[in-house]
Amino acid sequence: MDSGSRSVPSMNGRERVMAALRREPVDRTPVCNPTSVATVELMDLVDAPFPEANQQADLMARLAATGYTELGFDCIMPVFTIIQDSSALGCKIQWEQKDNWPTVKMREPIWETPDDIRIPPDFLTHRDTRCVLDAIRILKKEYGNEVAIIGKTMGPWSLGYHCMGVEPFLLMSLDDPGKTKLCLDRMKEATIQFGIAQVEAGADAITLPDHATGDLVSGEYYRRYLRELHIEFAERIRIPIILHICGKTVDRMEYIAQTGMAAFHFDSKNEPQESVDIMKDRISLVGNINNPETLFAKGPEEVRQEVVKNLDAGVEMVGPECAIPLQTSIENLKEIPQAVRDWTREQAAGN
Amino acid sequence: MANIADIRNEFIREEIEEFLERPEEIERTVGIFAKARPAMQDIAAALIEGENDTVDRLTAAALEDGIGALEIMDDGLIAGMGVVGIKFRENFIFVPEVLACARAMKAGMVHIEPILSASGVEPLGRVIMGTVKGDLHDIGKNLCIMMLRGAGFVVIDLGVDTSADEFIDAIEEHEASLMGMSALLTTTMPNMGKTIEAFIDADLRDDVKIMVGGAPVTQEFADDMGADGYGKDALACVELAKNLLSAEVEA
Repeated sequence: MDSGSRSVPSMNGRERVMAALRREPVDRTPVCNPTSVATVELMDLVDAPFPEANQQADLMARLAATGYTELGFDCIMPVFTIIQDSSALGCKIQWEQKDNWPTVKMREPIWETPDDIRIPPDFLTHRDTRCVLDAIRILKKEYGNEVAIIGKTMGPWSLGYHCMGVEPFLLMSLDDPGKTKLCLDRMKEATIQFGIAQVEAGADAITLPDHATGDLVSGEYYRRYLRELHIEFAERIRIPIILHICGKTVDRMEYIAQTGMAAFHFDSKNEPQESVDIMKDRISLVGNINNPETLFAKGPEEVRQEVVKNLDAGVEMVGPECAIPLQTSIENLKEIPQAVRDWTREQAAGN
Repeated sequence: MANIADIRNEFIREEIEEFLERPEEIERTVGIFAKARPAMQDIAAALIEGENDTVDRLTAAALEDGIGALEIMDDGLIAGMGVVGIKFRENFIFVPEVLACARAMKAGMVHIEPILSASGVEPLGRVIMGTVKGDLHDIGKNLCIMMLRGAGFVVIDLGVDTSADEFIDAIEEHEASLMGMSALLTTTMPNMGKTIEAFIDADLRDDVKIMVGGAPVTQEFADDMGADGYGKDALACVELAKNLLSAEVEA
């Protein structure tokens, strides 16, 4: 992909993101966080606090829009959490307050065996999935011509953690691979249903978090359990999919590159240049500015250095590595698009 | 110096040769297993393979044969977990495999713990452990707790979603001088710093050594927050706990 080519006419955010997802030339590298840029400061700014902004579509849309209107990112991502689909599946949720993330109560699993797995008939009309679909509709109407609207549907590995408990699910993956594959195969229907519903609501792309992270399982696990499923998602959810896996993933990037997904949202535990070299233009990369040490704890200059490192490596879309800490400063977040613009100008001047 | 040929159990010998690389760890591990009775080596081998039923059976049999609970714990269960910890640290195995080994260790400890509790063995120290506020993940914390208990610490587990006040209350109630905080989410890591600040505000910071850990946590982040130490994994957590306690004694 050609980042910042003079020959590419000026683009808006949506055109830029969609081109980057297709690995086509862009006027400058898009700035994108396909997980969440919600912060307490932004909640206060538009009076759309957590947890209500995860339950009411108008608040969700209003808070999500700040990613574009206040921060200057090229996409809007209204699904701040990873709990909306799990809540609709029946998981208990700890909703928390404005300054903390809602979380699935994974110590209280709802399923134990493949036979327990049922997608409820109201899965797509439940308050917490309907909120996402309605928010996407609102955003599409208001900003759909300007920026990319990105949805989110959880992959079956992550749903396994939420619905079956992390420890029981991981032990099952070791004790009984056949049973585990059956569970994944049944849970994948939730992933596909929610993904397609967001496409119909107007999403331009879908983030698919599926936390088979190197901090928990091997690259071989990804190949064994998830590669084929992810190929199926790329075929059945017919808009660009951005796979998100936290943590170390270099050892599974080769497999990820084979899935047909449009992009991979990668963590700062992976070197940008090494990651780009592995992907070899088969899949776009999004990332990978460090959240806890840089965006949260340091200043704009350090943020800028990480942006430049990603741009120099050829990362197709630059942004935070994951959902950002809620106390991250707006100043640091605004530095990302500013640094990208400055880098693009410098590159153009040098050509 | 002990030789690897002194270890009777073939599986243990192969594990050491295949997975241990650091000379000091090879020497220490060979030393432990070379002096361990064959029955202890067999328990360790079963634990490394994650065979909880075998560990359960062998531990019960060893106790029946009159082998001491402490010896079984040290030379069988903890020695086995030492190898598991190294394999995990070096990415030869991952969390599912470690969980299976932990399950096997628990199967052995079910027999051992009541005997040790009744014998009144003096613990190494008292540790408060918990996952920080807003975070419901506990696998890493639970592995640390198991290893700490295995190493001889008394651990008070506060569970997940632990507020600063709960940490402070537990430190005061149990008169512990050491605590560990875990976080899996980058979004909840800042709550480690908030908890440390709460200890400062309560004028208790000098009374307690604070360890932090969790997948996204780094030494740099731990230093920035003002923690006393960072442990990358459960094995490092035990070493850190021992070091912080001995530093406290020396002070």
